[in-house]
Amino acid sequence: MSLQILINGIATGSIYALIATGFALIFNVLKFSNFSHGATMTASAFVAYFLLEGAGLGLVPTLLVAAAAGALIALVGEFVGFRRILLNHSSATYFFVSSITLGTLYEGLVTIKAGSNFFNFPRFFSTPTINIGAQVISTSDVVMFCISMVALLILAFIIQKTRLGRALRAISFDRDTAQLMGINSTRIIQLTFVISGVLAGIAGVFLGIKYTLYPTLGSLVVKGFIASVIGGLGSLTGAVIGAVLLGVVETILLSLLGSGYSTIATFAIMLVFLLFRPQGIAGSNVQEKA
Amino acid sequence: MSALISNVLTQVFITLIAVAGVYVLTGLTGMFSLGQAAFMAIGAYASGLLVIRAHLPIPLAMLLAVLLATVVGYLIGYPVVRLRRDYISLVTLGFGEAIAALLNRMTTLTGGASGLTGIPRTVGLGVTAVSAVIAIALVASFKTSKYGRQCIALRGDPLAAQAMGINVTRVKMIAFLLSVALTAYSGCLYAFYMSYVDPSGFGWKKSADWVIMVFFGGVNSLTGSTIGAFVLSGLPQVLRSLQNYRYVIYAVLVLIILNFKPSGLLGEWELTPRNVKRLFAGRKKPAEKKQEEV
Repeated sequence: MSLQILINGIATGSIYALIATGFALIFNVLKFSNFSHGATMTASAFVAYFLLEGAGLGLVPTLLVAAAAGALIALVGEFVGFRRILLNHSSATYFFVSSITLGTLYEGLVTIKAGSNFFNFPRFFSTPTINIGAQVISTSDVVMFCISMVALLILAFIIQKTRLGRALRAISFDRDTAQLMGINSTRIIQLTFVISGVLAGIAGVFLGIKYTLYPTLGSLVVKGFIASVIGGLGSLTGAVIGAVLLGVVETILLSLLGSGYSTIATFAIMLVFLLFRPQGIAGSNVQEKA
Repeated sequence: MSALISNVLTQVFITLIAVAGVYVLTGLTGMFSLGQAAFMAIGAYASGLLVIRAHLPIPLAMLLAVLLATVVGYLIGYPVVRLRRDYISLVTLGFGEAIAALLNRMTTLTGGASGLTGIPRTVGLGVTAVSAVIAIALVASFKTSKYGRQCIALRGDPLAAQAMGINVTRVKMIAFLLSVALTAYSGCLYAFYMSYVDPSGFGWKKSADWVIMVFFGGVNSLTGSTIGAFVLSGLPQVLRSLQNYRYVIYAVLVLIILNFKPSGLLGEWELTPRNVKRLFAGRKKPAEKKQEEV
């Protein structure tokens, strides 16, 4: 029983990790909290749902379509919401407003198309559960965990080993200097948004499978934010650790307290964390530069 | 006055009070609360429950509700105001979700998802109008007070403000609590006007809506924010059929403004006797002074 809770928690945590890293990537590069991330998840999951409706395709094509949709949405969002602000060197508050506005825009568009209805992805797995010894684990949890892990490993590889990743880290460290070194910062920021959008798309589909698909699904992005705060704002490793931790703790609390109070409890945990270790687990506290 | 117009105006005035609070937080201090609507929910539920369950007189219930919200705001704000401003948005967003979950869950007390009914309908257009005027006057005098100017200073550069001897943490907290109190008060009025509250109306979208209203009219101008709130909260009430498109239209408008006139419609212009005189004298002073915030 308790092992099962642990496994469920880790599976949930792996989805949160996708959300949190997608959010943290943008935070890393532009130093602001991207509140359109949740709506990007919802919108791309819905695009995948409506495009593939009735086609009877499996999980992988759905994920690919959602990832592509997420990348496209994020790219458009970067162009209409952030490009001019960035080039004008306007105050960081405008990034906030832009991202909030973009979030409202995406959610509004989804609501117009989908109404306030609930949608279900078709069942992707012929056998809903797997038995390992005495444990019964849902197939979707296992598959989601594996795919999330692969996605995160690819992300880690990109960030650590490729030229793109190095450029991204340089820009996140100091955009102006990086630009002087010959890095095309606009291009790299675009690519960062694409990666973040891909992660959002995958996470959106997973959330749609786990819960159902509805226009305000994006508010689950809060979990990613909490994970990010616990892990250390802007740190990718921290975000993953925070997310898995949050997933496990939340699943345990859920079985003890039920749904309403566990939300309160996870929120309280975040507050306590901020009080005693505001720099998060990873300990990289991004301070306002002088 | 027809019932429709009076209904629309009452709701607009209630929104105005909340937006005045958001202006203090976002416009003056540069902090974003995406759980601001949760404080409205606290105000609405607490005052409603105090009247229904404890049979307190309404003004006392409102006062207690505003106090409760302020205390909760202090607890939320305490760890957050000393950190960079991203945290307050993230934490308040989480707080909003938590409050919504709690209201849905505590069915015996709050009526759960089906809402709290039976609140006496005692507030009308008059009370909300007077309250809105007082709230805006309060915020206007806060803006020109010592604290208001400290808020503006730390919005631009917290580090420099601190170097000038401003207690950044404390000023941020004061601004946050003032905005919480105003929002909670608007929640009280809302409860006693609608006579019914349910948790669905207090999500992050409402908080985002308020931020958008502030930025629409001009983030540095209380006049602009007020006009923004008036127009943006009044229009959809009149054009009910466009309800679904409302957010999309808002968002597109604001994106256009953000891209081409980031300081909002009015920029920094305020409605003061001097500025009005200048406007009518035909001198182009205000237009020349217009400058984009960097």
